[in-house]
Amino acid sequence: MFAETTSVTMVGAEPRPVRVEAHVGGAKDVFKLSGLPDTAVREAKERVRAAVASSSMSFPARHITVNLAPADLPKGGADYDLPIALCVLGAAGTIPARPIVALGELALDGTVRAGRGSLGAAIVASRMGVPCLVADEAAAEASSVAGADVVPVRTLAEAAALVAGQARRRPVEAASRQRPPVPDLADVRGQPLARRALEVAAAGGHHLFLHGPPGSGKTMLARRLAGLLPPLDDQQALETACVWTAAGRGRGVDHTPPFRAPHHTASLAALIGGGTGAVVPGEISLATHGVLFLDELGEFPARSLDALRQPLEEGQVVIARRGLSVTLPAGVQLVAATNPCPCGYAGDRIQACRCSPADVHRYRRRISGPLFDRFDLRVAVRRLSAEELQAPPGETTAAVAPRVAAARKRQAERGTLNRDLTRAQLDALPMDPAAGDLLERAVDRVGLTGRGFDRIRRVARTLADLDEAETVAEPHLSEALALRGSW
Amino acid sequence: MTGVEVIARKDPSYPSVLEEIADPPERLWVRGTLPVGPAVAIVGTRRATRYGLSLGREMGRAVARAGWVVVSGLARGIDGAAHRGCIDADGRGIAVLGCGIDVWYPPEHEALGRQLVAAGGAVVSEYPPGTRPEPWRFPARNRIISALAAAVVVVEAAAKGGALITARLAAEQGRDVFAVPGDVHRDTSRGTNLLIRDGAVPVLGADDLIEALSLVLGPPRPVPSTSPPLEVPHEGATLEEIVEANGGDAAAVLQLLGRMEAEGSVRIEAGQVFFA
Repeated sequence: MFAETTSVTMVGAEPRPVRVEAHVGGAKDVFKLSGLPDTAVREAKERVRAAVASSSMSFPARHITVNLAPADLPKGGADYDLPIALCVLGAAGTIPARPIVALGELALDGTVRAGRGSLGAAIVASRMGVPCLVADEAAAEASSVAGADVVPVRTLAEAAALVAGQARRRPVEAASRQRPPVPDLADVRGQPLARRALEVAAAGGHHLFLHGPPGSGKTMLARRLAGLLPPLDDQQALETACVWTAAGRGRGVDHTPPFRAPHHTASLAALIGGGTGAVVPGEISLATHGVLFLDELGEFPARSLDALRQPLEEGQVVIARRGLSVTLPAGVQLVAATNPCPCGYAGDRIQACRCSPADVHRYRRRISGPLFDRFDLRVAVRRLSAEELQAPPGETTAAVAPRVAAARKRQAERGTLNRDLTRAQLDALPMDPAAGDLLERAVDRVGLTGRGFDRIRRVARTLADLDEAETVAEPHLSEALALRGSW
Repeated sequence: MTGVEVIARKDPSYPSVLEEIADPPERLWVRGTLPVGPAVAIVGTRRATRYGLSLGREMGRAVARAGWVVVSGLARGIDGAAHRGCIDADGRGIAVLGCGIDVWYPPEHEALGRQLVAAGGAVVSEYPPGTRPEPWRFPARNRIISALAAAVVVVEAAAKGGALITARLAAEQGRDVFAVPGDVHRDTSRGTNLLIRDGAVPVLGADDLIEALSLVLGPPRPVPSTSPPLEVPHEGATLEEIVEANGGDAAAVLQLLGRMEAEGSVRIEAGQVFFA
């Protein structure tokens, strides 16, 4: 007798269906498992046997062969316990063979535990148009996938009864987890320049570099950028959810742009992705469609920063493994912060800087090079005085976000986010003659490099978008020039 | 050449202060209009430090704002900075050349000279048009700089050089001499420190200078400036400070700053604004 069930493996952040096939025949009591299983999957045999017995069902004492296909995808973890058990029971004729997707680990007493790939299972199930059986705890997250028919199961016995049509489905319990509130821009007191820079960064997706003394609110500002970004569309939310699932973190399908702030001691794999077993997404992928914040940029090892370059440029991370190359999304907006000098107080109006000019120079040189070129906006923030901290709240996120959304919409109509405008595209942008004059003068006076020239034009385009202007005019260009902030 | 005139000693427009010195020039070629009123010379080394340049410019600006005429030699370094400060403040200034007034020297200061004339000031020389700049003409030119001014400020100077000559001539002509003190080991401060040792009045910044000068020239009579585009509270102010000093509209202030940077009147570096 033969039966087939579907389960899921995550290849990078992409859920791929895994066919679980079982054949029950012969009289010899053997349980064989094939299809590139790792140790945890091989141990499924013992867990499945015990769980079936604990569920007052008999485990067929016959020659059982279970195959996981396609054979070339590596499969790991205990996620396949439930589908293997259901498939074996189906092949033995204990329950009817029905097209379903199932995923979950089995405890020896038959309890179903949440598997890592529950969200992926829901995605695959909704594509196939079949029900998706997952553990109770994972049901809420899985049901955030549009069109997924999620069936929560508590035990193997319940799962078997549901497949046999002998039990009634329980409704999915709504997630009790409250999403943390997104910090509001109104909390930022004073700081008109930093606010402006945040709005511009959000509107054009520009990578933002903040420098200022400790306690000037760099982290606070970075967090508020995520709130200014337009909510993710359904596809982006799903993609982000998949990345988080692949990293073993629950997020569900959430339309809030993610915010990640890895510490500078984070390993290369933690930052970019990789790891020893299956490919685990790094911070740059967890932050996709949102904000990746690198505090103390100068403290990050040079090779971490180098490794960020290509993903930033391409919007994806490619991790090559033996026989399998995994692509993970990495479309992040980068925000980096640093002190202006080793002691942190250069340019501060309250506390004197204790660094020698050579120290400052050396410190700043560390933050330079190709990665640094990616920051279109470089803004100095400063500490607030006590009175300023008690100033009335500024404009709220709710007031600024619509302006950002409108500017983004204009870019979407043109087809490119301003951050990603290439030199050729910039050359083709309509620009006022007066703006062109100013730019020409600036090139001579300020000694702009080719890259600097492009950065200014990109930011100017965003300023024009915020202004609802078709053409980049002189005021846009001059503001972009002032926001360029050499370092 | 348009707007050029020759003034001889007998002419009523010949500056009477020049008659006070031992060897007044017989004729003056003047491009523009010689401004009248109290004048202050701001001079210094051609090889100025960034510190000296910014201070010279700040002083040029302060003197012009006080309604006084800024006199200097249009040379590289401190001279140029002082003239620029004068133009920043929309003030009137005089540049005294050591060559013909049609021979711009140094050539990169031609635009500066023309701006000075356009702002109601003058470029003058005792040498006829076409005269080449020769090293020996410059000390002679310095006596005119000091003679035209009621006081001479030396911002940065080496132990030997034109600026010290100007200061000596000024003292001989009975002008007040001010000098900015500096690091005793730094070449560009040795001259000014020597001047202070020998009796020059030390000045500790633009405000201090105005205070000291008002004892000599009377209280400043600030010219109502034609709406300064932007208030920059001090050299090295951060963008945030400037935005706040000008009403808090970041976009508007940044636009003005960007324009000023493109025109070369300020430099924005690591979030701080410097007078270029």
